[in-house]
Amino acid sequence: MTDATPLIALRQITKEYFGVPAIKNVDFTVMQGEIHALLGENGAGKSTLTKIIAGVTTPTGGTMAIDGRAVVLRTPSEALHHGVAMVFQETSLVPSMTVAQNLYLGHEKFFNRLRGLYIAAQQFLQSLNFNVDPVAVVGNLGAAQKQMVEIARAVLQKAHVIIFDEPTAALTPEEKRYFFALVRRLKANGVSIVFISHALEEALAIADRITILRDGELVVTDNASAFDRDMIIRAMVGRTLSDQLYHRQGGKARAPHDKVLSVQNLSMGALVRNTSFTIYSGQVTGIFGLIGSGRTETAKIVAGVLKRNFFHGGEVRLRDRAISYLLPRQGVLDGIVYVTEDRKIEGFFEGMSIAENIFAGRLAAKGPKLVSRKDMLELARVWREKLNVRTINANARVIELSGGNQQKVVIAKSLVQQPQLVIFDEPTRGVDVGAIAEIHQIVKDLADQGLAVIVISSYLPEILNLSDRILVARQGRIVEEFSPTEATEEKIMYAAVH
Amino acid sequence: MDLVRLVLGGLGMIGWLRRHADAFRGRGDSAPTVPPMDGALRPNTLLETARVLLRIDAPDSLVATRDGVLFSSSAGVFRLDPQSGTVASVRRFEHAVTCVASSDEVLAVGLEDGSIRLCRAGHDLPALVTLGGQRLVCPTALAFRDPTTLIVCQGSARNSPNHWKHDLMQRESSGSVWQVSITDGTSRRLAGGLAFPYGAALGNGDVVICESWRHRLLRLSDGSATPVLSDLPGYPARLVAAGDGGFWLSVFAPRSQLIEFVLGETAYRERMMRELAPEHWVAPSLSPALSFLEPMQGGALRSHGILKAWSPTRSYGLLVRLDARLQPIASFHSRADGRHHGVTSCVEIGSQILVSSKGGNAILALPAAAGDTP
Repeated sequence: MTDATPLIALRQITKEYFGVPAIKNVDFTVMQGEIHALLGENGAGKSTLTKIIAGVTTPTGGTMAIDGRAVVLRTPSEALHHGVAMVFQETSLVPSMTVAQNLYLGHEKFFNRLRGLYIAAQQFLQSLNFNVDPVAVVGNLGAAQKQMVEIARAVLQKAHVIIFDEPTAALTPEEKRYFFALVRRLKANGVSIVFISHALEEALAIADRITILRDGELVVTDNASAFDRDMIIRAMVGRTLSDQLYHRQGGKARAPHDKVLSVQNLSMGALVRNTSFTIYSGQVTGIFGLIGSGRTETAKIVAGVLKRNFFHGGEVRLRDRAISYLLPRQGVLDGIVYVTEDRKIEGFFEGMSIAENIFAGRLAAKGPKLVSRKDMLELARVWREKLNVRTINANARVIELSGGNQQKVVIAKSLVQQPQLVIFDEPTRGVDVGAIAEIHQIVKDLADQGLAVIVISSYLPEILNLSDRILVARQGRIVEEFSPTEATEEKIMYAAVH
Repeated sequence: MDLVRLVLGGLGMIGWLRRHADAFRGRGDSAPTVPPMDGALRPNTLLETARVLLRIDAPDSLVATRDGVLFSSSAGVFRLDPQSGTVASVRRFEHAVTCVASSDEVLAVGLEDGSIRLCRAGHDLPALVTLGGQRLVCPTALAFRDPTTLIVCQGSARNSPNHWKHDLMQRESSGSVWQVSITDGTSRRLAGGLAFPYGAALGNGDVVICESWRHRLLRLSDGSATPVLSDLPGYPARLVAAGDGGFWLSVFAPRSQLIEFVLGETAYRERMMRELAPEHWVAPSLSPALSFLEPMQGGALRSHGILKAWSPTRSYGLLVRLDARLQPIASFHSRADGRHHGVTSCVEIGSQILVSSKGGNAILALPAAAGDTP
């Protein structure tokens, strides 16, 4: 914060959709060279506020000033003209083009010399200290590198304020560290950063100031040093959720019932290497591992999404019957459901309504031969109530819902298949704290009902809170098992990395 | 008729093709896979660190009687005081003892020659040497259903108890379980075609047996055999009822991927049996390798002279506590680096459990409540 005058100042900003306020009389400022975290539950108004700053939507009331001058931003290009750029959760890069082509997309000259473009891109990326090959095709880059290209494009367009919507949701821990280093470098260059995040530790670690919204209204803005985790959660939800979220209730683990799944010496290339474990009904089995530990791949082999090695690929036994699926549907028919970690790509049909998505789950299992709209809506009503999906009606498209509600729809779509084994892969990734508690309760209820539940998570407090058994994966195999009473974050992490 | 023959021939051909495809790909029955020891079977060192009550050569067949605990060792049956560990000889035989059972009045003892001796105070009953008109070859386990009815496990129709490795490597399944009246010697076969039945216990009026080479427990009732616990990570031996309504299961050797692989390689196995002494076979073992002539422990890892506990091994010590539904709830281990291997029997006495480590030449005592999962 080098200047007392805010770079951006919003006063009494209100935005209404069909008379319903999404945000109400919000004051918000961004200082030069600061990192400002914007926090709140899903539906709190964070995205609406940032979209107003970035010119994606226009406010219904209130004023906005940039560098002390009142402005009205009607389009993102107008915002960019004033030095404000927004990086959305889904990158807006063209995957089939190179990094350099993406950087200069829309700013090409009449005659373009490709070599010159690459040299300019290389110099520019190096000036930002971004280790990205300008000749690389964007589709081949990892999430963090795509994020870097997005940032580079924003800086290239002379943005003084860059807004990130959940920038770390898709990043691995290593990539997150790299991203934070980038953000700090941008800050050192005088660029202001506004970011929305559901990971409270991130906000506490890197933000200079934190603003918390609740139900479309400003709750508090203060220096990050004035907050701790509990204070943030209290401000976000109006209650202390920390205990509810990440402290084990009752203490004692559920006893195992029957052996449901036995994975024996399973192998798939270099990702899954001779891994073996057993899953019991009536329990939540947590699987922790770092990226590359083969957790997701193992779960996908079990569910029939991926194929094990053709020769000596090991065995998967479901209730003492060897199984090997050509299609995931065969797994669904056997009662195995996999709730994906990447819900937007693999979890739901974004162009379809909530009711259609849930009904699609039933069709994948032993559903009716004929589709009845009445049955579809009734099914959606039952599951919306059961899982507390907050939406206007069942005809709303899933893509329009918040992350938490999207995840609940994906879970509902899986549970209508009446499974006996449910595999949750990162069930609360990109989900707000209120929805986290509800999803955790869904997981626990399933185990209490006698189902076998697997929770794959990279977040240790979540694993510790939910699991009745904790398995640790490393380099493609399960290497350690802990009971909840003996497990600590240190022990689990030690097993995961040594 | 021709059509039936054609269909059956076709089915046989499909089965033959499938078996060969499975063997080629290493899946199905030919998959050299082994279930993990996790959950209630998670490794610990409770058996290795258990109190040694008695050191004696190859103890086996622990049985609780009203006068104390009986067990066998080579050709003798002994009585053990579980408190002091003192031993008294009860009876000696001309052949090695393979199994023991006791009612209040009769002591039944299976011998290596295939006979079952029925000893009673004063005079002995006639020995059992045939079952259903066939010569008894391999008595592996005995249990009294009532004072006059004996359940007999015959591990194999071709190999004696001491030749159990031969039976496994020949992939035999000629074992059977019989119910015998000791008063008139009549017998009734309860199940046949079994792959080395090695333990029997009574549960809810039914007979529960251990089928070792198929790594499972079967419940025998009304002429049918139903699997109640399958795919164990080792070869089960004796099964006894526990005080809380559950059971104690002895597992005498571990399964390993190497042995499963060898079991699928017929030519290799035949040559190995033809050319090597049994103690040097790639096969399960009751005791840890001590001779340098023995095969490597399938990649056993030794660092600074210390064998890693998790090394692949041919011998292991494992005792499993089962609940009333015969599902594992706790376990006691002596791992690859341990010595208390080859657990063949156990008996619950009050709050402690006595375990015979045949491979470790010891009878161990440990609290029955130990090993409870938290």
